[in-house]
Amino acid sequence: MNKLKHLLVFCCIIGAVQLQAQQKTSLKKQSTKSLDSIYLFNPFRDKVQAIKSGIKKELGKLFIDFKDNNVYLLSGMSFSKQFINAGGYNSSFNYDLANSKSAFKPGYYAGFRVDGKFKEKHLYSFAFSLDKIATGTDYASSTSLQPFIGNFSRFKADDQFLNFSIAAHYRKLLPYQPNDRTLFYIVAGPALDTRLSGQSADNLVNNNYRRFLLRADIGIEYENKSFYTLFIHYKQGVTSFTKSPVATHLNSLEIGLLMKASDLF
Amino acid sequence: MKKYIILICTSIFLLTSCNKDTTGAEISLAYQMISDKIWYLDYNQTISSKGTSTKTYIGQSTYFVKFLKNFTTVDSDGINGTYTVVKVNGKLQIQVLAKTAGANSLEYIYDIETLGANNMILYYVSSGSTIKFFYSTSH
Repeated sequence: MNKLKHLLVFCCIIGAVQLQAQQKTSLKKQSTKSLDSIYLFNPFRDKVQAIKSGIKKELGKLFIDFKDNNVYLLSGMSFSKQFINAGGYNSSFNYDLANSKSAFKPGYYAGFRVDGKFKEKHLYSFAFSLDKIATGTDYASSTSLQPFIGNFSRFKADDQFLNFSIAAHYRKLLPYQPNDRTLFYIVAGPALDTRLSGQSADNLVNNNYRRFLLRADIGIEYENKSFYTLFIHYKQGVTSFTKSPVATHLNSLEIGLLMKASDLF
Repeated sequence: MKKYIILICTSIFLLTSCNKDTTGAEISLAYQMISDKIWYLDYNQTISSKGTSTKTYIGQSTYFVKFLKNFTTVDSDGINGTYTVVKVNGKLQIQVLAKTAGANSLEYIYDIETLGANNMILYYVSSGSTIKFFYSTSH
């Protein structure tokens, strides 16, 4: 099931990149083979074309005020940590906290982003990415097993996730502009993460982790006009990644690079 | 528009509809934690209405028991047999069917209070007293 989900997400990303790439290739001189494929009868291609134009038409109606859209590819590194309060969680298992590391651990992500203007005034962006997250863990409470000595927790946080993240940002251009080519933006908005990876055997016991996670995303972006954009975002967990009574907030610092898809393909 | 709503609903259903067999996962994890280790008895605790008495075996020659991956068990008293982990009334139990060194059959059941990678607390209740055994993998 997980493989199917990964494949679906991968296909979405490839599809979006492909759409952008098609705009550019249409300007090139066409070969005999491509001319044949245009004029010869091809029911499958026609069907795909009909679906595509249907989607475009529907999206055009839905996003009528969303103009000047550009597709960017993005990738970068993230540093994540889970803040855990196990509360009154009970299970038959215990985990020695001496082995847990309270640090932001590095992961990586890649995806694409659509930037544009709403009602030709407000800058926005919609980002879609696959995040490979590794996390450190910070436990707020522990249990002591007398007469054993040491700090134990009855909940063990998973430290590896594969998430599909969708984020919507409002972007504001900062008045600070050191030269003509440089622009600074501040961005903020919600991000919805969908956990695609499975849970560890420890958490399957009570099916502890939720599928969805809502986070607040705030960041600063540096745009080197028409070349690339460097950004740094902080994502703060708004909802708990685990089910009650365990409260887990996953926070990440993301550093990355954006490039226009049309410049690459 | 309807098509998109159906597509979104189907995606959400696919992502959230898988239910896990949690009891099976719990027993499987218990086997994983318990097996292929030598468990040394560190403490023995008797809890009764009169109070709690604790005996320590740390730094002494002590009782130990091995639980192997092939579901067999052997202990320092020469008792060997098979073991199973089951869940009864919401509690995990270790059930042992064994034979003594003199070939006498023996059956005993311990409730698991807590189980970790390197420590385990087993107990049973007898005549109103709770007898707890604190095991660890290091001695």
